[in-house]
Amino acid sequence: MRVATCAAAVFSLTLFLMAAARADGDAARGQARFQDCAACHKLEAGSNDVGPSLHGIFERKAAALTDFRYSPAMKRSEISWTPETLDKFIADPQAMVPANRMPYAGMASPNDRADLIAYLQKMSK
Amino acid sequence: MTTKLKEVDVVIVGLGWTGGILAKELAESGLKVVALERGAPRTSANDYSLPNIRDELRYVVRHDLMQNTARDTLTVRNNPTQEALPMRRLGSFLPGEVVGGSGVHWSGHTWRWTDMEFKIRSNYEERYGKKFIPDDMTIQDWGITYAELEPYYERFEYTAAVSGKAGNINGQIQAGGNPFEAPRAKEYPLPPLTPILASEMFSAAASNAGYHPFPRPSANASQPYTNPDGSKFGGCQYCGYCQRFGCEANAKGSPHMTVIPIAMRNPNFELRTHSWVTNVLKDNDGKRVTGVTYTNVLNGEEFEQPATMVLLCAYAINNVHLMLLSGIGTPYDPVAQKGVIGKNYCYQTGAGATLFFEGKYFNPFMSAGGSNATIDDFNINWEFDRGPHNFVGAYNVNGGFNTALPIGYRPVPSGTPQWGSEWKRATAKWYQTAMTIGASGSVMANRHNCYDLDPTYRNAFGQPLMRMTFDYKANEHRMGTHAAQVINDIAKSMNPTKLNPAVARTDPWTVVPYQSTHNTGGTIMGTNPRDSALNKYLQSWDCHNLFVVGANVFPHNASYNPTGPVGALAYWTADAIKNRYVKNPGPLVTA
Repeated sequence: MRVATCAAAVFSLTLFLMAAARADGDAARGQARFQDCAACHKLEAGSNDVGPSLHGIFERKAAALTDFRYSPAMKRSEISWTPETLDKFIADPQAMVPANRMPYAGMASPNDRADLIAYLQKMSK
Repeated sequence: MTTKLKEVDVVIVGLGWTGGILAKELAESGLKVVALERGAPRTSANDYSLPNIRDELRYVVRHDLMQNTARDTLTVRNNPTQEALPMRRLGSFLPGEVVGGSGVHWSGHTWRWTDMEFKIRSNYEERYGKKFIPDDMTIQDWGITYAELEPYYERFEYTAAVSGKAGNINGQIQAGGNPFEAPRAKEYPLPPLTPILASEMFSAAASNAGYHPFPRPSANASQPYTNPDGSKFGGCQYCGYCQRFGCEANAKGSPHMTVIPIAMRNPNFELRTHSWVTNVLKDNDGKRVTGVTYTNVLNGEEFEQPATMVLLCAYAINNVHLMLLSGIGTPYDPVAQKGVIGKNYCYQTGAGATLFFEGKYFNPFMSAGGSNATIDDFNINWEFDRGPHNFVGAYNVNGGFNTALPIGYRPVPSGTPQWGSEWKRATAKWYQTAMTIGASGSVMANRHNCYDLDPTYRNAFGQPLMRMTFDYKANEHRMGTHAAQVINDIAKSMNPTKLNPAVARTDPWTVVPYQSTHNTGGTIMGTNPRDSALNKYLQSWDCHNLFVVGANVFPHNASYNPTGPVGALAYWTADAIKNRYVKNPGPLVTA
């Protein structure tokens, strides 16, 4: 058990280092990247749709909205949304939170993700 | 006890693609519109997301989005000498019963039918002479032209997020598209979907044989998209759950996520669900309709909804049923060949081969509604000479997959036992290695294929069931034989390890298994009230304030899926009502 915890910690650290989000995203370009999200997510507070509202995303933990039906996987994930965790999630949602119910294969390009996150940082406040 | 409600401008019966388009357009023009939908309200957020989706048992086996046959069904027979029996379980076709109608569970294939269909009798008589068309083949020109419909096709394609490659823009043939298509003014709103291995192999073989493969146009958004009305689409995730399911990625163009929510936000529009329309009411001299009666299926309450205008926008079969139940127009009599309501019921035919390639991995669990390739060399290619083959009509040939669901998709080479350990071994061995080549073929109208009211069986409301009399005729058998030969020649050229060859359908039609939800005709459009129920604006010749919209207006059935012209005609009718009828109510075409 102890060994497993250690291994997991090392593994997470490695992932964190590899996946460190770029901080120099361009919010204007990110608006176009948000097209990928907009069919299901809105940015206004209280505007849950197919996906939860992204208003205030960087100020809350995963599955924090009480009026959205999250998957058990997302509820268990205990993620705090930061530019780094969101970058990792958007890169491959099923890898980071297996069995979450967002039907999205992932955004492969780190630059695109950085732009998207810059846009979200600006617009989700 | 029927409660009489306050009169509205427009009552719409059924809220799928056609009802949704008309609801949005007419509410925006200022008319007070009420839609009556017999099914339940369902939304992407609540119903077409996990864990309520990708459930083959619920949606495919138990038909969760389809008509409940315990409440209403049809009786079916092949010819008038038989006694028609009720279809107790859905099989051959699957009418939707939900807000969004069959537009929720369709695959998304969106085609433009051309003047080859709209002028069918003129075309064949001109090229082959009157005698080429059999006496009992009741095909007729539609009274509309491709040029008239072209802008409306475009409107529908841009609303529904159709992905495809144009083959002909304003007469200029485009590389990679369908070279036989009629000219379009603009490219598709989205590029084609990513091809799958099976469609690429088919395309290569078809090209080698001298044919002209192209990606199948489909309302599966190949990338995120915002349509001209502002409805937002996600990009297709290639999950393979299009047909019979709502789309979880909001990538499949459907009325419940485009036109219907826009109508719902308009204060001129009201939707009443679980509302089953039993009758369209007429005034004393039968020249106008005055509204509808309906029953709330949750509590049995009955209502009369008076309206200045009635639009029948239910599933094609149910529109015709309602006309017959309401006594509007003269019922068709196949013996005397008089009357029009119920005339020219048509279906589709087909043939298919399964090819097995040892060592190939097709990953059949990844696909989309439009992830196959098509050839139209034997379809809307008028250069293809039907004369030597002696048939009227056409077929398109497709290679690839649209779907390969975990319960139902078990391709095995013919000769494999149908159960037991040998079957299990074979399904595991061949699952990854199989692909299909199929043809979808037209069915020409025939005087004996028709609808009327069943003399014996009744539905839950005590009304006669619809009776369908249908069988394939020699014309369709000859076409199917030709299609099977073409498919098998392409298949053999691909050198598969094993081949289950295509065989033409020549047995009598049966209501099992599933074949196609492309039922057409029954209240057909045309140029005069002797031969048709509706004019070219889908307005009743008998009652000018009644419009009947859907595939029930097609005078015959083409090889293509029907939703392209169904959607285009809904926009066409909306414009005719908004721009002409409302200003001067009366017949839009002089009989």
